[in-house]
Amino acid sequence: MVNYTKYALKDSAELESLLKDRDQLFVVACNKCFKEYDTHNEPDADTFVNLAQAQGKHITGVTKLDFLCNQCRTEKALKDAIPEGTDHIAVVACGLGIQTVADMGVKPVLAAADSLSYTGYHGMALTSKTCGACAQCYLNLTGGICPIVDCSKSLLNGQCGGAKNGKCEVDPKKDCAWEKIYQRLKDQGRLEEFLAQPVQLRNYSRVGQKEIAAYVSRIRDRRFAGYYGGVHPSERKEITEEIPLQKFPEPEQVIIPLSMHVGKPAVPIVKVGDYVKVGQKIAEQDSFISCCVHASVSGTVTAIEPHTHPNKGPGVMSIVIRSDGKDVLDDSVKPAKPLEELTPDEIVDIVKEKGITGMGGAGFPTYVKLKPNKPIDAVLLNGCECEPVLTADHRVLLEYPDAVIFGLKAIMKAVSAPKGYIVIEDNKPDAVALLQSKVAQIDNIEVRCVRTKYPQGAEKMLIKNVMGRMVPSGGLPADVGAVVDNVSTAKAIADAIRTGMPLVERAVTVSGEHMVHPANLMVRIGTNVQDIIDYCGGVTGDDITIKMGGPMMGFAISDTNVPVIKGSNGIIAVDTRHSEEEECIRCGRCVDVCPMELAPLNFSKYVDEGNAKALLAEHIRDCFECGCCQYICSSRIPLVTKIRKGKVMIREVK
Amino acid sequence: MLITELKSEEFIRSLVTGKVFIINCHGCMEVSFPEKEADALEKSFAEEGCVTGVVTTDYICNPDHLKLQLERHSAQIDEAEEILVFSCGVGVQTVADLYPKKRVYAACDTIRLPGYQGVTPLENDCGQCGTCYLNLTGGICPITACSKSLVNGQCGGAKNGMCEVDPEMECGWERIYRRLKELGRLDAMRCPTQLHNFATDEATKQCKES
Repeated sequence: MVNYTKYALKDSAELESLLKDRDQLFVVACNKCFKEYDTHNEPDADTFVNLAQAQGKHITGVTKLDFLCNQCRTEKALKDAIPEGTDHIAVVACGLGIQTVADMGVKPVLAAADSLSYTGYHGMALTSKTCGACAQCYLNLTGGICPIVDCSKSLLNGQCGGAKNGKCEVDPKKDCAWEKIYQRLKDQGRLEEFLAQPVQLRNYSRVGQKEIAAYVSRIRDRRFAGYYGGVHPSERKEITEEIPLQKFPEPEQVIIPLSMHVGKPAVPIVKVGDYVKVGQKIAEQDSFISCCVHASVSGTVTAIEPHTHPNKGPGVMSIVIRSDGKDVLDDSVKPAKPLEELTPDEIVDIVKEKGITGMGGAGFPTYVKLKPNKPIDAVLLNGCECEPVLTADHRVLLEYPDAVIFGLKAIMKAVSAPKGYIVIEDNKPDAVALLQSKVAQIDNIEVRCVRTKYPQGAEKMLIKNVMGRMVPSGGLPADVGAVVDNVSTAKAIADAIRTGMPLVERAVTVSGEHMVHPANLMVRIGTNVQDIIDYCGGVTGDDITIKMGGPMMGFAISDTNVPVIKGSNGIIAVDTRHSEEEECIRCGRCVDVCPMELAPLNFSKYVDEGNAKALLAEHIRDCFECGCCQYICSSRIPLVTKIRKGKVMIREVK
Repeated sequence: MLITELKSEEFIRSLVTGKVFIINCHGCMEVSFPEKEADALEKSFAEEGCVTGVVTTDYICNPDHLKLQLERHSAQIDEAEEILVFSCGVGVQTVADLYPKKRVYAACDTIRLPGYQGVTPLENDCGQCGTCYLNLTGGICPITACSKSLVNGQCGGAKNGMCEVDPEMECGWERIYRRLKELGRLDAMRCPTQLHNFATDEATKQCKES
């Protein structure tokens, strides 16, 4: 692998004169970028320390950081790291790293290294191809060989005439670019076309520094909007965002897993042969973190047996019900008291009894969230739907705005929160406008329109963005006075209170570029996924992936004979992403996008080394597997899989 | 990180004379690729019936990765007379190398984003000059902060602290003076005359080879 490291330690003579009359040094070194990730311990800092100590200098401390030019991380790491008595900070990094530390302005900074110049290189994959980024691509004229960087003189109108035996006169080791261009064009039969070209001029003013500065600030603005990092994958929401929710016909049979939530599976309270009605409880929750389960159709229980689960794979105990097609309601399905008369405990009980879990995907039992042991300042409803392709929550906002607001009021009452927010991304202006008009008369509920950025809807990002608070490492939203729920969950709570209907149905987006008739459907829990796909006309193409959920965090399923569960917000048919893992090149993109401000490249390294202790020190448990790092990884490392493995590793060690 | 700009629609249309295969790279410039504009243009090509296939992927600068992405499109590529690449210059060259017999066309211009080497674009800039002057300047780079890249103090042309070349830019040397004064290091300005060594590419090459 080519080493494109951006700096080299200054030579010892220069360093000696630099250190003359200077003492009490704190050393900050960058772990380098764009090179093979072979060590956590780049030797340059140690070389510098040895040299300084040989001169009798005192070193107050040494710290080695990843990507020193990342201001956000560097400032955090150095904030309390510089010991008393330090007079100078010696920085072993490229010019960017040095300036980043100097900008902190805490102590005088000594540059202990020089930047290396890689003119023309900016590819991500350490290719030997270079591009001068001249702002006027000439490759169309030259058969794809760049005259700016491949010709020593950057000539645009043919060779200089100085080449000898095909070699450049400036650098005899280099082939003459114009001979290569001639050969390529000749092979393609394009010589005539080339000779007919007008004389090319290079416009140096195209790279306007001011434009670039404006552009950089625009990117930074986007990158830091609301919270650090995140990505902007293609949304493709236009496929279904304007299609109204449609009722999926009542299925003939439903398979309802006993485990559709985080925590212990529910315990069946019906047996094979029993007749059950819609909304009847068929399994009871088993411990504090668990959730009960209800029948989504009326009919006969035909089996209680292991079945394949969309997220957990084969072997998950499930209750199979054959529908009688009559949709008979259970007696328990009746409205509760009006919200004004319900006590907080009664609301929590309804949420618990009606089997409501988080409907954004993870499936945490909602009633547990409604019993925070800390005072709550605000309830945040997540209507961001930051996953590409999915539009189910968007449709719920548009079609059930009153239920969503009612649900929010109920949650606020349950946790005694003085304030409620409905947070919606700015790619759904219709939903923002509708909800805003609906809450205009409500003092303590506000609609917050946030900039579209994945993973906006993650609870920690939402809290940071709306309340400006950071959930501490290992903490919960309640630790900073927040409760976060999905808008669909709020609708389910509203239904449970207003009609008494438990969570037996949900909105599902069926979409993706390979779905024949994309749709937004209201589907009974337990409906077979393949039936839904068939209902939507099936899929096209043979090299496709079916995922439950969105393209970023959804689970790829090989078997479509699985049921829709409480957390299934989407069924999508997308292109299979073919990739082969390559070595990490320390490009730093994963660090750049990690919303939790972690360093995923190190997780990958430590998991491969089996170093559980280092994983803990790097806060691997703070990762919520949003997949930004894997999405952006230029070496296609399956980072999420590795991180999951790492989390298992630390559990085993403890 | 770099800026990828679409060439003019008229120009891109002039490139496409027959059947065309399209490659989009959203790779490292995930935040700056003109996705919507490129998409609209490609749709209009498709409506005209001249598109044999489209691949949208990332990091096509990585030849192995590119090959993997193009494998299942080989028939479509064979059918096309031209390959139109929406990416930076590195990507276009990688495709051109993979298909030396095909006409490979660039639909974009590439502009370097200075100050960016590893992660998020910085307000700081580094000219990668090979001779770091930051020791003498309180950590403000005279190569990039001064329009003239002067290394021995101000030119004298600044007016009210603003550069004479670009009146919207602060004089880099005034900033350096201020920073050194704050740090109590004005003595650093008494250093010997600095020379800018332009021959640093050789050092880089040696380092790369070692």
